[in-house]
Amino acid sequence: MKNSLILDKNYLSYWLRQLRKKMSLIAPVRAGNTDIVFKTVENIHEIELDCPASMPSPKGLLFPQKEDMFKFSKEEINIVRDNTRRLIFGVRSCDMSAVALLDKFFSKDFVDGYYMSRRENTIFISIVCNNPDPTCFCVGLGTGPFLKSGFDIQLTDIGDRYMVETDSKEGAALIKEYHYLFSKAKRSDYEDQYETILSSQTRFEKRINLENARQKILSERISDAFWEWVSKKCFECGGCVYECPLCACFNVLDRCDSEGNGIRFRIWDTCMFKGFTKMAGNICPAEKKGTRIKRWYFHKLIYYPEQFGKFGCVGCGRCTITCPGRIDMATIAHRIDIGNRRRR
Amino acid sequence: MDKVSTICPYCGCGCGLYLHVENNSISGVSPVRNHPVNKGSLCVKGWNCFEFIQHPDRLTYPLIKEKGLFRRASWDEVLRLIATKLSGIKKSSGPDSIGVISSAKCTNEENYLMMKFARAVIGTNNIDHCARLCHSSTVGGLAGAFGSGAMTNSLNEIADARLLFVIGSNTTEQHPMIAMHMLDALNKGAILIVADPRKTQIAEFAHIHMKHRPGTDVALLNSVMNVIINEGLVDISYVKRRTENFDIFRETIMKYVPEVVEKTTGVPARDIKKAARLYATERRSMLFYAMGITQHVTGVDNVCSCANLAMLTAHIGLPMTGLNPLRGQNNVQGACDMGALPDVYSGYQKVADTKMRRKFEMAWMARLPSTQGLTLIEMFDSVLKGKIKAMYIMGENPLISDPDINYVLDAMKKLDFLIVQDVFMSDTAEIADVILPAATFAEKDGTFTNTERRVQKIRAAIKPVGESRPDWEIICALSKEMGYDMQYKATYEIMEEIALLTPIYRGILHHRLDENYGLQWPCTDITHRGTPFLHKKKFAKGLGSFIPVDFIPPAETPDKKFPFILTTGRMYFHYHTGTMCRRTSTLEREYPECLMEINPADADSLSVKNMEKVKVTSRRGSIIVRAYVTDKTAEGVVFIPFHFKEAAANLLANPALDPDAKIPEYKVCAVNIEPVK
Repeated sequence: MKNSLILDKNYLSYWLRQLRKKMSLIAPVRAGNTDIVFKTVENIHEIELDCPASMPSPKGLLFPQKEDMFKFSKEEINIVRDNTRRLIFGVRSCDMSAVALLDKFFSKDFVDGYYMSRRENTIFISIVCNNPDPTCFCVGLGTGPFLKSGFDIQLTDIGDRYMVETDSKEGAALIKEYHYLFSKAKRSDYEDQYETILSSQTRFEKRINLENARQKILSERISDAFWEWVSKKCFECGGCVYECPLCACFNVLDRCDSEGNGIRFRIWDTCMFKGFTKMAGNICPAEKKGTRIKRWYFHKLIYYPEQFGKFGCVGCGRCTITCPGRIDMATIAHRIDIGNRRRR
Repeated sequence: MDKVSTICPYCGCGCGLYLHVENNSISGVSPVRNHPVNKGSLCVKGWNCFEFIQHPDRLTYPLIKEKGLFRRASWDEVLRLIATKLSGIKKSSGPDSIGVISSAKCTNEENYLMMKFARAVIGTNNIDHCARLCHSSTVGGLAGAFGSGAMTNSLNEIADARLLFVIGSNTTEQHPMIAMHMLDALNKGAILIVADPRKTQIAEFAHIHMKHRPGTDVALLNSVMNVIINEGLVDISYVKRRTENFDIFRETIMKYVPEVVEKTTGVPARDIKKAARLYATERRSMLFYAMGITQHVTGVDNVCSCANLAMLTAHIGLPMTGLNPLRGQNNVQGACDMGALPDVYSGYQKVADTKMRRKFEMAWMARLPSTQGLTLIEMFDSVLKGKIKAMYIMGENPLISDPDINYVLDAMKKLDFLIVQDVFMSDTAEIADVILPAATFAEKDGTFTNTERRVQKIRAAIKPVGESRPDWEIICALSKEMGYDMQYKATYEIMEEIALLTPIYRGILHHRLDENYGLQWPCTDITHRGTPFLHKKKFAKGLGSFIPVDFIPPAETPDKKFPFILTTGRMYFHYHTGTMCRRTSTLEREYPECLMEINPADADSLSVKNMEKVKVTSRRGSIIVRAYVTDKTAEGVVFIPFHFKEAAANLLANPALDPDAKIPEYKVCAVNIEPVK
C-alpha cells in the first residue's frame, strides 16, 4: 500500500484516451435502458462505473463462447491466435479474482495457447466495488469488494479522486509513462480509502458462508434426495455455467465445407447437460439431472479448494440473476448451510 | 468487441439478448438483464442461438435447378427468371393459380411486404403461413368470443398471479422463460393446475394434475364450467354486464356432469370439482394454453371453451388474469398481425370488407382481389387438383412441418414452379426450382412481435453471409422486376407504412421501440404507451360471446388395427423442423435422434425394451424410431417429437382439419407399434 498514487478524476478520461491509442479499450457501457455490458468504448464519457454489475462477465473477452482455433484445407493448417492488445477498464474485484483463477486453470498442468495469447495481451484496471448488487456475496469470500493482490491496477473511488494501486509490471508501465498525471498519496487519502472500503462492505445484503456448506457436504449429510429435489427446478439451460466467470469447460468441433476446407473451433460447454460426459454406446454416467447439479456444486465447493486452494465461486451473483429455477449457488449453499443450523 | 441488442429467434417468448460481435463474426450471446420477458435468463436454445448463423451450410448464392441439379446463378438472373415465370403463370392461369407462404420466422416488415406482394403484385389472397398449423384456431376462436385473437395479458404479470391453470402446454420445455415466471408465482404461494395427458416438468409442480385423454379437452372444460355454474361460482354481474348468449350456453353445459365426464376424459370427478372451485374463487387466476388445445379437429371449440371459462368467472380484462395462448414462433403473432393470412390485411382488417379493401387499394395503388384465399393445407389440395401451378415459400419447411408429408410431397412435385427462400437447404428447398438465399435474424433490422403482443426491434449484428440478402430486400427486388416498384430504403420505412394502414400498430414506429423494450399493441397513436392487457372495460367486439360447444371425439380413435394414440409435439433441445437447432452442436449432441415416449406397461405388452427400435404405422405411413420407456406418457398414448426428418412424425399425423380454422389434428391419431427385429 506504500506506493499508492492519486489520480484526479478530471484526468481519467485523458489517461484512458492516451492508453486507447495503443490498445483496444473495453469498459462497462450502458446498453439499452438499464443494462451494463462490457464492449469496445467509442466515447470515453459513456463509461459507467457507478452501475449494477455487467451481465456477461468479462470471461468472454479472454475465453469467448465460440473461438476459432485453426483453419485447415487439404494442404495446410493456419493457427488462429488472437493477440489484439486490450485494456479492460472498470472490472469489479470479483471478476478480477476470477481472472486470476482462470489463469491458473488454463496454465497449471497444460498451457492453453489460445487463452494465454489473449491473456498476455490484456491488461485490467479493476475497481474497488462500492455499489454491490442485491445478489452479490463476494464479501465473505475474500474475492471482493477490494483486492490486496492479483490485479494490474486497482482504483478506489475516494470522492473527487482515485486511489491507484499497482500489482504487476504491466500495470506499473501504464502509469509510469503518464507519471505526470499521478501524485503520491497522502495519509488522509489512505484514511479515505479505508473508509470507502469499510462502507462498501456494509452494503452487501447477502452473506453466504460457502465454508459451512462445504463442511456439511464433506460430512456427507447432504443426501441425493436433496439434489433430486433441487433438480426438479432445473431448466437445463446451462446459464449458471455460461454466466459463471470461472467455469471454463469447452467442446472442440470441426466445421468443414464440401471442398475439404474447414475450421476447428471451440465452444462453451456445460456439465449441466447429459451429453457432456456421454460415452460410446449412448451411455451417460450422469443420467439424472440431480447428479449433474451435485457434480457442479462438488466441483465448485470441494474440488476447486483441493486443486487451487480457493472456492470455485467468487460471489459475483450472476447465477442468481440468470437461473430461471432459482437454484443458484447463493440459494443452494445458503440452504445447505441454514438447514444445518436448524437441525441443531 | 461489440454487443448488439436483439431478440431471440426461437420461440414466442421473445427474450432479449446481446450478440457478441468480433470482426464481423459472432462469438457469443448473453441475456439482457432487465428485459421484461427473460430478466437475465435464457433457455438452452437462446444460449446457443448464434451457432447456426455462420454455419458453412448456409445458402450463400441463388440457385436454379436445371435437369434435376442446382447450379449457381446471379441475383439478376434468378430474379428475372422468377418474374418471367410468375408473370407467365399469372397471365395464363390467373393470379389465383399462385400460392404464397409467408413465414413466422421473418420480421413484421417482411411479412407485411410478402402479403403486399401476394395481393398487390400477384393479385391473389392465397397467402398463409405456419400459424395455420399452430394457433389459427386461437385467432378464429377468440375473434368470435372477444373480437381479438391474441394473448390478453402480459408475461410479467404472471409472477403476481394467485392461480395458474395450464392446459395443453408443456411450458417448461416450450416456453421456458414463461415457466420461469410461473415458478416465481409458485414460490410466492400461487396454486398451479395442469391439464395435460403427459407428465411434463411443469406438471410435477402442479397441485392438481388432470391427465385427460388426448382430444377430450372440451368435455373436461365443460365439466369444470358445469361445477362452477352448479355451485354458484359464476360472476353474475360480470356475465350480465359484459357478455351475451349465456342462457343458451348454460343449457349445453348442464349435460357435462363431472361424474359422467370422468368416463370420457379419465379425470376423477373429484379433481375436476377441486380445479373448478379453485379457479373460480381465486381472484387473480390466469389461464394458459398452447398446442394441446389448438391442434385438434375441434381446435376452435377448445379455444371457445377456454374463453367461456374465463368469461364465466370474470377472469379477463384485469391484470393477473386473462386467457393466454402461448405462441410458438418468435414472430407468429406478428405474421398474423401483418395479415399473412388468406382473409385479412394487416391488423385483422377483412379482405371482404369493401371499405378496408379500398383503403389498401389506395395506399398500394393496385386493384386487390376481394375473395378470401386458400389456407396452407387447402393450397396443397388445390395443387393436386391442378388449380395452383406455382408457389413461393419464404422461410418455411412444409415437408417436415405439415401433416401427412407424403401427400404434401406429391403436391409439391406437381407444381410447375416452386420458389423457396430460406437460409439453409431445407427439405422443401431440395425440391424447389429456384432457391433464394436469405439472411438470418442476426443480419437484418426489423421487428418481431412476441406472444404478449410486444413489438421489439432486432438489429443487424453482422453483414449478410455471402450473397444472401434480407428477405425484405429480396421481396422488393422481385417486386420491382415484376413491374411494381416498392421503393423502400430501410425497414423503418416499411414500419411507417404499416403504422399508417393498421390501427393497432398506429403508434408503433422504430424509433419508439428503443426505449422500454418495445411496445405492446394495440398502440393507437404516437403517444400511446401500449396495452399490457386487453379487454379492460369492454371486449374488442363489444360484448363477449359465450359460444356453446359440445364434445366431439377426435377424427381418429384407436381401434384393433391401430390401438395406440399418437400425440406429436416439440421437445426442449430442438425446435420445429430442426434447420437451425440441428446445426447447433450442443443441442444436437443432447438429443441427436428421435425417441418415442411410451409407457412402461405398453412397452411390456409389446415386449419392447428401452432404446429398442420400433416401427410406428398409421393409416398414412410408417417410421422407425427408438422407444424411450417412461411414465411421462399415459398407457395407450405415445409421443413423438416432429423435429427429425429421418423419423418424421408428420408422416403419420392425420391431416383432418378443423372445419373453421383449417388446423390439422396433430395431437391425436391412431397408430400401431411393432418391435423391429
